[in-house]
Amino acid sequence: MRKTNNVIKIKDFKVDKSLPFDQEYNFAYLDENTKKMIRRAIIKALCIPGYQVPFASREMPMPYGWGTGGVQVTASCLTKRDTLKIIDQGADDTTNAVSIRNFFKKTSNIKTTEITEKATLIQTRHRIPETPLKKKQIFVYQVPIPEPLAFLEPKVSETIKMHSLSEYGAMHVKLYEDISKNGHIETAYAYPVKTNDRYIMDPSPIPKFDNPKMNNSPAIQLFGAGREQRIYAIPPYTKVKSLDFEDYPFDPFKAEHACDICGSKNTYLDEIIVDDAGNKSFICSDTDFCNKRKNK
Amino acid sequence: MIIPLLKVTNLSKSYDNIVGCKNISMSLYPGEVLGIVGESGSGKTTLINCLSGNLEPDRGKIIFNINNKETDFLNISESEKRKFIRTDLAFVHQNPRDGLRLNVSAGGNIGEKLMSVGYRHYGNIRSLATKWMNKVEIDKSRIDDLPITFSGGMLQRLQIAKNLITSPNVIFMDEPTGGLDVSVQARVLDLIRSLVNELNLTVIIVSHDLAVIRLLADKMIVMKNGTVIESGLSDQVLEDPQQEYTQLLVSSVLHV
Repeated sequence: MRKTNNVIKIKDFKVDKSLPFDQEYNFAYLDENTKKMIRRAIIKALCIPGYQVPFASREMPMPYGWGTGGVQVTASCLTKRDTLKIIDQGADDTTNAVSIRNFFKKTSNIKTTEITEKATLIQTRHRIPETPLKKKQIFVYQVPIPEPLAFLEPKVSETIKMHSLSEYGAMHVKLYEDISKNGHIETAYAYPVKTNDRYIMDPSPIPKFDNPKMNNSPAIQLFGAGREQRIYAIPPYTKVKSLDFEDYPFDPFKAEHACDICGSKNTYLDEIIVDDAGNKSFICSDTDFCNKRKNK
Repeated sequence: MIIPLLKVTNLSKSYDNIVGCKNISMSLYPGEVLGIVGESGSGKTTLINCLSGNLEPDRGKIIFNINNKETDFLNISESEKRKFIRTDLAFVHQNPRDGLRLNVSAGGNIGEKLMSVGYRHYGNIRSLATKWMNKVEIDKSRIDDLPITFSGGMLQRLQIAKNLITSPNVIFMDEPTGGLDVSVQARVLDLIRSLVNELNLTVIIVSHDLAVIRLLADKMIVMKNGTVIESGLSDQVLEDPQQEYTQLLVSSVLHV
């Protein structure tokens, strides 16, 4: 008969009772080997601005489309000294922001903030804060579809080739179609950009109003797409140009209103229907910026 | 001496044990229209796909000589090859749906090649697209319509406009009138013929229809079982075919 002394019995596993329940996880949820793998992908992405680096995306305790890519990038970058800010559509108090903030509070016990300037790491869905980003900040985007050429060319093998050979002519076909249909470039979010004069990149579904903020930013910008298993990045002080036509230049559109709460005229606004008569109100989508202005 | 625009030497391509084409040698001079005829499975399409870069041949040489610049088509890097295909070659498919983006408007389809060679001025792209729609006899009011709303003949003319707009040096046509009814065929052929004359195009046209070859081609080659069995001026070959198979082809044309 075979010896069975190398069989591990379940009772051999001991839960460390000295730790509170929430800290039975490794710091920031992911194990260190996974973080190492993701950090290597991030470093590669920073070396080739705009290039999509494949990585072995993990299952996260949230559904795809809720920021699994961004969360993995954030988890791999977090240190115990970091102060974390999470925004969803510019707001700190929306579902996605609150749940991800609580997730990191539980699993890493770090400081969190709602104030843009105080954060060392900001994870975002669909906005760049109105307060300019600064040196030594890391800015993480949640990305649903990283491939800007996907709508033109469904084959991934072909889009990889198009990127490697800079065959980007077809990219303008979409903008052409916009102008011929609507008289102007209708694309309002996920507006494609060219990074460092080389790779065409999907900036995630931020409004095109935010596109100019990516250009020459002093912060590190990282993009994580969990379901599609891609990470890409813009290193600090990198040229990011929105695609356009010579006679139809890029126009960072916003609603022609001032914020009804703080009165700001040059921030991105949410349109809110306030009653059954269809009356509407415009307010800043960046809650932190709006609160600060209001309280001044 | 005129240097051939395209020189092919001993080109062979097989699919496992099945011969696609074998030891094909030929040359094509600027402004010439070359017809390739043969029955189904004779290797016409394999040959044209090898020449246009859609297929990698097993053996042989393809040399393009454009503006005194020699390009060894099978020995250049992938990026050079794709650039060459984009700027110097054009391919008109038998089925226009293969050569067009059906979810993009007619103007967008015609303009795509311009944008891929660096045009970034909407107004210019649009006016060139309009000009070409005019040239291929499509009403310019249809410029923003989707190709799915076009008839078969219009689609084929749209595909021709899309391909010719960047004035490519060699144009490949694979049965360009294949799926069209006879009256539409005549119209498309007439269009191709007038464009060839007007723009002095260099064309390789594949067809199993001898009438198409007689109408368009200056020279022709006849293929059977993957090899060239007869070649020469098309009038000569069609009037006085030497090979038994060619004689059969010529005599099998219906005279209505």
